[in-house]
Amino acid sequence: MRVFKDLMWYFKLEKWNYGGGILVLALVSLLSLFPPYIVGVIVDHIDNGTLTEGILFRLMFILFILAIVVYVLRYIWRILIFGPAIRLARLLRNELFEHFSKMSQSFFQKRRTGDLMAHSTNDIRAVEQTAGVGVLTLIDSITMGGFVIITMALTISWELTLIALIPMPFMALAVNKYGTMLHKRFSKAQGAFSSLNDKVQESMSGIRVTKTFGYEEEEVASFKKESDHVVEKNVQVAKVDALFDPTISIIVGFSFFLSIVFGARYVVLDELTIGQLTSFTVYLGLLIWPMLAFGWLFNIVERGRASYDRVSNLLKVEQDIVDKKNAITVVPEGDLQFQINEFTYKEGEDATLKDIYFHLHRGETLGIAGRTGSGKTTLIKSLLRDFDIKNGNVLFAGRPLDDYTIDALRSSIGYVPQDHFLFSATIADNIAFAKPDASYSEIIEAAKLAAIHEDISRFDEGYETIVGERGVTLSGGQKQRISIARAILANPEVLILDDSLSAVDAKTEEQILQSLRRIRRGKTTLITAHRLSAIKHADLIIVLDQGEIMERGDHQALMGQKGWYKQMYEHQQLESLVERGGMSS
Amino acid sequence: MIERHKHLLIPLPQKTVFSRLLSYAKPHWKWLVIAFLLLIGGTSAQILGPIIIKVFIDDYLTPRIFDLQPLLFLGVTYIMLYILAAVMNYAQLLSFQKIALKIIQQLRIDVFSKVERLGMSFFDQFPTGGLVSRITNDTEQVKELYVSVMAVFIQNIVFLIGIFVAMFALNVQLALFCLIILPMILVIMQLYRHFSSKYYAEMSEKLSQLNARLNESIQGMTIIQVFRQERRMNRDFQKTNQEHHEAWFKSIKLDGLLLRPAVDFISIMALVLVLSFFGITSLNSPVEIGVLYAFVNYLDRFFEPVNQMMQRLSIFQQAMISAGRVFRLMDHDEIAPIKEGESEPKIGNGEIEFKDVTFSYDGKQNVLKNITFTVKEGETLALVGHTGSGKSSIINLLMRFYKIKQGDILLDGVNIKEYEDQELREKMGLVLQDPFLFVGDIKHNIRLFDKRISDNDIVEAAKFVHAHPFINRLPKGYETPVGERGSTFSSGQRQLLSFARTMAKNPKILILDEATANVDTETETEIQAALEKMRRGRTTIAIAHRLSTIKDADQILVLHQGEIVERGTHQELLQQQGLYHKMYLLQQGAEKLEEITVE
Repeated sequence: MRVFKDLMWYFKLEKWNYGGGILVLALVSLLSLFPPYIVGVIVDHIDNGTLTEGILFRLMFILFILAIVVYVLRYIWRILIFGPAIRLARLLRNELFEHFSKMSQSFFQKRRTGDLMAHSTNDIRAVEQTAGVGVLTLIDSITMGGFVIITMALTISWELTLIALIPMPFMALAVNKYGTMLHKRFSKAQGAFSSLNDKVQESMSGIRVTKTFGYEEEEVASFKKESDHVVEKNVQVAKVDALFDPTISIIVGFSFFLSIVFGARYVVLDELTIGQLTSFTVYLGLLIWPMLAFGWLFNIVERGRASYDRVSNLLKVEQDIVDKKNAITVVPEGDLQFQINEFTYKEGEDATLKDIYFHLHRGETLGIAGRTGSGKTTLIKSLLRDFDIKNGNVLFAGRPLDDYTIDALRSSIGYVPQDHFLFSATIADNIAFAKPDASYSEIIEAAKLAAIHEDISRFDEGYETIVGERGVTLSGGQKQRISIARAILANPEVLILDDSLSAVDAKTEEQILQSLRRIRRGKTTLITAHRLSAIKHADLIIVLDQGEIMERGDHQALMGQKGWYKQMYEHQQLESLVERGGMSS
Repeated sequence: MIERHKHLLIPLPQKTVFSRLLSYAKPHWKWLVIAFLLLIGGTSAQILGPIIIKVFIDDYLTPRIFDLQPLLFLGVTYIMLYILAAVMNYAQLLSFQKIALKIIQQLRIDVFSKVERLGMSFFDQFPTGGLVSRITNDTEQVKELYVSVMAVFIQNIVFLIGIFVAMFALNVQLALFCLIILPMILVIMQLYRHFSSKYYAEMSEKLSQLNARLNESIQGMTIIQVFRQERRMNRDFQKTNQEHHEAWFKSIKLDGLLLRPAVDFISIMALVLVLSFFGITSLNSPVEIGVLYAFVNYLDRFFEPVNQMMQRLSIFQQAMISAGRVFRLMDHDEIAPIKEGESEPKIGNGEIEFKDVTFSYDGKQNVLKNITFTVKEGETLALVGHTGSGKSSIINLLMRFYKIKQGDILLDGVNIKEYEDQELREKMGLVLQDPFLFVGDIKHNIRLFDKRISDNDIVEAAKFVHAHPFINRLPKGYETPVGERGSTFSSGQRQLLSFARTMAKNPKILILDEATANVDTETETEIQAALEKMRRGRTTIAIAHRLSTIKDADQILVLHQGEIVERGTHQELLQQQGLYHKMYLLQQGAEKLEEITVE
């Protein structure tokens, strides 16, 4: 029940709705007592032969009005109680999303997307259930249960009520116990299902091996075994699930039996009329639901609490990259000075970057080369303030990066990441991502500069083609070029290409580099690449090795040094020759 | 996704789906009959309860007759009936669930084995993720259809029928009156089905949009942050969230209007009907109060099943769509090529001949053009060439993963089309580039499913390919568990295990697809030694990336864009100073690179 306390802030926020809903719910419970009462009255009238048309008509009319009123009230409390519950789901989802958007990369690296998704869907759903069905069952079982018992005790017989109620607590107990068992077995069934899923995943990935050895039949047999497991676990669930109805009906049956047997005694003793006894059994019927609900309540609340804890823990994670006090909002423009003494992602690990000192004038192009894992991407990301460098500094227009607000800093940077990520929206939307109000001609211009315009024009729907699963599947090279167009359209002070030309062919690469040189005049560009042809024209090229600058200079100078750069460059020249089938172009 | 597979995404029409789903129940008819009998038994016992109380009220309580024996009899019967009902109902509920689970298992096995029999052409084109979700998630939806829709409908309908039978037994006239309830309920059901299918579809559509947006944003957060679009993305998300909320709220309103409150309304109206009937009748003639009691009691129980059925209606719609997609996949006809002709040739020498083979995956672009070569028994042929030059396609055809349309491939002079699948798989050992390991232990990964391979054979095979030493060093030796995709082993070790797997079968023809990835130096020498041993005495076709490994091949084919551009032995090709020569120099990391670099 602690979760209700945890959610109190929300109940207070929606106090009118919840308050109103609870009131209406209680009223409905109260009104539900009338029909059985009327049944009793009529039975007694018939029994005594005192029924007249007038009485009958009046009572039926009351029942009819009651039916309408209860219908309306039932509708109202649903809106009043379930409404705020799903608004809570909306609220929490928005909060989570906003929170995610404030988190730095390290947050996402530590957590799997699947888990974050589960928190935002299943857990929120469980909290919503607590705030809706949970509140309903709590209130309903208290009011309905309470009213019915009081009525039975006061208007009919408190002794008979006590006797008839004897089996009822067992029902709440049983339902609660079954609920817990069901939940446990259900998780096991889910586990079996997910291992079946893994099996299928494996079979599909390993289909080549299976086909090579001709083991299709055997694969099917082993799939069958796995699916036997699923059946078995689900039968375990069914075994508990099937207990609910029979248990309830046996307990209710006993309760009826007790009330009839003892009720009959009271009738014989003239302490009770037959009509009252009939009403009594109908009242008893009304108690089934509150007892059931009470049993369920514990399960709902238990799950709700665990889920709410997970969601609020997630929301409590603090932002690790924040604006300094007095950070200026001026968008930086100017030289870049890297003065990094040392940087490590985790304390105690080897330095990812070490002794990085260089000065890049405004308008120059920097090329960064080096093996995988040499620190190229880390160097570039230091500019984005994906993390803060404690030992050393990066100066932008003469000031350390954290002198600027993150927003101001990022306004002057355009970034094309290594793993070209596109949103499942239209191509136009993707290109105009940083500038949603861009005109179509701006978009086309950017696409032309990134040498992707022709590809896009070939699609049936052109720039309105949807990207991703539901639309067209793009090749790696096409995605890269759209990412480049996206950054070009932003026209940033500093443009960063992180190995963003790896999947385009040599000719296209040259074309893109040429247009970049043209439009980036006077603006700073940073390029990392495996293929050195992409950085050949840079004003300054640095070669990184294990986080340190191993070689530096322009292409000419580096070719003269006879080091790694020269060797690599020549190797790649030959490689492209082989790719072309030995013919030089 | 290619054109040929697009229809797989469109679900089949509901009628076809429904009858096919029903046909899946056929093999279980015996159990179904038993479950049905139990259901009828349990329901009858449940329904007899109020009748006993009626007898008690009318025959004993009202006239005040209290003989111990008949009363005891009634009481015991009543309790026995309830216990009997509970037992039968439990058995019945469980049986229906079991049958449903068995049916789903069969459906899953059917679709899985169908997919296993599809040709490689299918797997090369259709995304794996979609297939997996078809075989598991979609069938899971169908499970809901059987477990929570069909079973509940059958049980509740039988129960409702039972109630009516009892009512008719008690009072035909009143029971006839009560039949009016049915059309009222059907109208509400129909209305609810109509609107809910629309609203629920909208809601689940919005939910999947919401989840897609969330998922995408989590993955693309860097981009969002770098381009400072957090606020816009927040706004967009809030908008989708709002739309989802509205759809949800609409369905809550719908539920409020047509679900329980409406059914409760009808139940009170039914009560009015019954009471009026008895009241009016009693004005003229005496009525049995026990009958009234029983009717009121039945009405009380009548509406819960109705509520239950209505709540399941929305699941029904969803499940039918999933079932439609599953059947689509089952109907897909892209079976792997099978044996043609009556003869039963066997592979003896292992001589391979390609005669003017031209091949295309899509029927437009040829990936192999006029490929002709012969490999004699025991000889080694090496294929070299850049990515996309057609090396793998040659192997795909030789393994009969694809059907050849132009040209012929002969094994021992017999067309490859005429061989039994088993003969081909047994005599030709293909070692794949990506040594895929299955979850299980090392033994299982070497033996796979061949029961003829003894534990001893496994050790022999492992020794033969130099895998035995490293396996032996593992704490559990050959029983060491292999995790998902064998990620606990180095790529070199995985390679050796896949060699052992092939060698355990002792194939006549060996096809090697060399790994492109660099293997750790530790195992590198072992792999080379193993490869050499494996080739000995076997006809071998090898795709080589490292030219140093094929120096001693009897014949080397250099492929470029689907054509053989150079052929000969290592020495001959070097002398030609052509493409092979350049490739060789490239790999040697030659100092003389400058000399041949053009530009």
